[in-house]
Amino acid sequence: MEKTKSPEESRKLLDKITFDLTRSIVKRDELTRFWYFILVMFAAVGLWGWFIQIRDGLGVTGMRDYVSWGMYIANFVFFVAVSLIGFLISSSLQLLKISWSKPISRVAEQIAIAAVALAGIIIVMDMGRPDRFLNVFLHGRFASPIIWDVTVVTTYLTISVLLYYIPLIPDLALLRDRGGDDIPKWKMQLYKILALGWKGNDKQYKLVAHSMRVLMILILPVGLSIHTVTSWLFAATLRSGWDTTIFGPYFVAGAFVAGAAAVVILMFAYRVRYRLGEYFEDLHFDYMGKLLVFVCLVYLYFNINEFWVPAYKMKTAEGIHLRTLFTGSYAPMFWSAQMLGLILPILLMLFRFFRKPLPLTIISVFVLIASWLKRYIIVVPTLEHPFLPVQNVPDYFKHYSPTSIEIMITIFSFMAALLIITVLAKMFPVITIWEYAEEKGIDKEILAEPKK
Amino acid sequence: MKIKLLFVALVFLAQQGMAQEWLVPEDQKNIENPSEYNLANVKKGKDLYLLNCKSCHGDPGKNNGLPLIPPPPDVSSDIMQANSEGELFYKITHGRGGMPQFETTISDDDRWRLVNYIRNYSPDTEPLLVEEPPKKAKVLASVNEAERIVEVFAEYQNKDSVYVALAETPISIGAQKAFGTLPIGEVLTNKEGRAEYAIPESLIGDEQGMVTLVVDLGEGFITEDVVLDASKVGQPKPTPVLIKEEILWSTNENIQTWLLLSYLAAVLGAWGTIGYVVFQIFKISRAGKEE
Repeated sequence: MEKTKSPEESRKLLDKITFDLTRSIVKRDELTRFWYFILVMFAAVGLWGWFIQIRDGLGVTGMRDYVSWGMYIANFVFFVAVSLIGFLISSSLQLLKISWSKPISRVAEQIAIAAVALAGIIIVMDMGRPDRFLNVFLHGRFASPIIWDVTVVTTYLTISVLLYYIPLIPDLALLRDRGGDDIPKWKMQLYKILALGWKGNDKQYKLVAHSMRVLMILILPVGLSIHTVTSWLFAATLRSGWDTTIFGPYFVAGAFVAGAAAVVILMFAYRVRYRLGEYFEDLHFDYMGKLLVFVCLVYLYFNINEFWVPAYKMKTAEGIHLRTLFTGSYAPMFWSAQMLGLILPILLMLFRFFRKPLPLTIISVFVLIASWLKRYIIVVPTLEHPFLPVQNVPDYFKHYSPTSIEIMITIFSFMAALLIITVLAKMFPVITIWEYAEEKGIDKEILAEPKK
Repeated sequence: MKIKLLFVALVFLAQQGMAQEWLVPEDQKNIENPSEYNLANVKKGKDLYLLNCKSCHGDPGKNNGLPLIPPPPDVSSDIMQANSEGELFYKITHGRGGMPQFETTISDDDRWRLVNYIRNYSPDTEPLLVEEPPKKAKVLASVNEAERIVEVFAEYQNKDSVYVALAETPISIGAQKAFGTLPIGEVLTNKEGRAEYAIPESLIGDEQGMVTLVVDLGEGFITEDVVLDASKVGQPKPTPVLIKEEILWSTNENIQTWLLLSYLAAVLGAWGTIGYVVFQIFKISRAGKEE
């Protein structure tokens, strides 16, 4: 924290910060409209695909008797993974008092909310009868990992929303009091309601700090559970490739890789689009790069354990599965995900140059795509090799490939996630203004001052 | 490996044996049939044939025996009829290869009756079993649950197209099961065409002990089976619990206590804390109004 500035200086600085950080809210040009148009159009096409799927049944997908979890479940696991970054950046790093991560915290929370919300929606889209969704709650079996997953996804979504909202309250009050005339009226109205009559007294700040602390601690077990339970959906079976004890930590480590990459990409987008170079500095990208290398190394370590040990033993069923990954039909996907999405990024990011914003973002895009493919490799190949022989079925039962409907719905999920993030960015500042101002040595009294 | 070799050797030897003619010792060949060739014996022989022989040899004259090697010959075929009565008796008694021996399962007298039945299809003897065209018949039946009796009344259409009581005719009683009718017994009608069948105590019904009984006139009659829906005359079916208690992915009735408790504790803990935080939000709002 910098030392307290004089009131005059502080006011000037605060005006600048508020101006910069509300640019995302104020800015409305052709590009914004075009971006919304693209998102809404693709999302609508995906919804149309879903309509076809509801009308004609799950037969329109590539899923059959043997491979009954396809692209949807892979995509679900991917989104659950991405959402876990909220747990790492907004909670773990904050609790460890790592100050550079403060401006990134809201970016991570945006991603967490969008991803976990979509994870829930994808599961409903994977259902043949989504109208019976409520039965999961009414007649769920407590001994089934699926009900644990449903529970933990809802809990995590609620906590993520609270973790996003509570530090937002002082910002909303700030916007309510100091917001420029260029902010639409309805938004100002909304800020007024959501600010809950914030006055900025000590008691309120204490309550915010206390609630944040409780939430950050609560999200540790819940965040760990969300991805561990998702891994148990697989690990609680006897299938080769899934029946391993390290699946929980393996998934969690993989989740940090995917989430950190997503955060880097979103940071870069905000930096360029809203000219926030002074807020998402090179230093932040450098640290995020280091964090990404670290989680990648942990993930690599788990990957080695996950593949090297069974490959050494080559048990009969496990061997069939591993051979399809190493040299068989899934080899191109497997090796490109491992090489381009894990090993090469680790090597590159060790150099300072590749931790600069643009190179790091490009690397992150590769990492993110690879982590999506990784989920596909975890879900589908195992289902193609059941223990009982596959007999007397048509050929298209034996191998899974997603249909255009599945791809449409999957694209919908990406567009909808981006739409949630875009709406959040357009509604609320992408960095916590009051925390940032405090960091810069601006007194709380000045924050509470109404606009002249 | 040894067992495999032994098996191959056995099959080889067996084939060698079958390839040879089936020789019957001279003293056995010409034994006279002690059983008289009459309708009663031939009928009894037919019943035995249906029970023991038909599954391989098929229906007489239809050449629909099982496709085995060597093929079981049809009863009316020359191969079968070329045997003397003593030879037939010997072959039924001792068997060979695929043909089993019946020395221990069918009595001497009955085996001779089977020979009587086979002779019914010989070109040299006058057939005693005359295939009559099937007659139209009516069957009425009811179950007396208290006395555990099936009461049957049967009529058939005689030559003058008048329905008269069907006397001295076997009526078979079965119980309807998932994969067809299970025969449980047979009863003869009396002169008035009536019969009473006592249901055995050991009959097993569904979970409530309900049995659907089927009353059937044998071949030779055109009639519809009488199906007596769900009467309470059987033992309740024992229903073992197929789902083991306390296993993973189990139903809520069978859930492990520790699992349920940890789940509920985790859910209550998390949502309790969320509730606490929401309460803090209210407090923030209230703190704004205080000043």
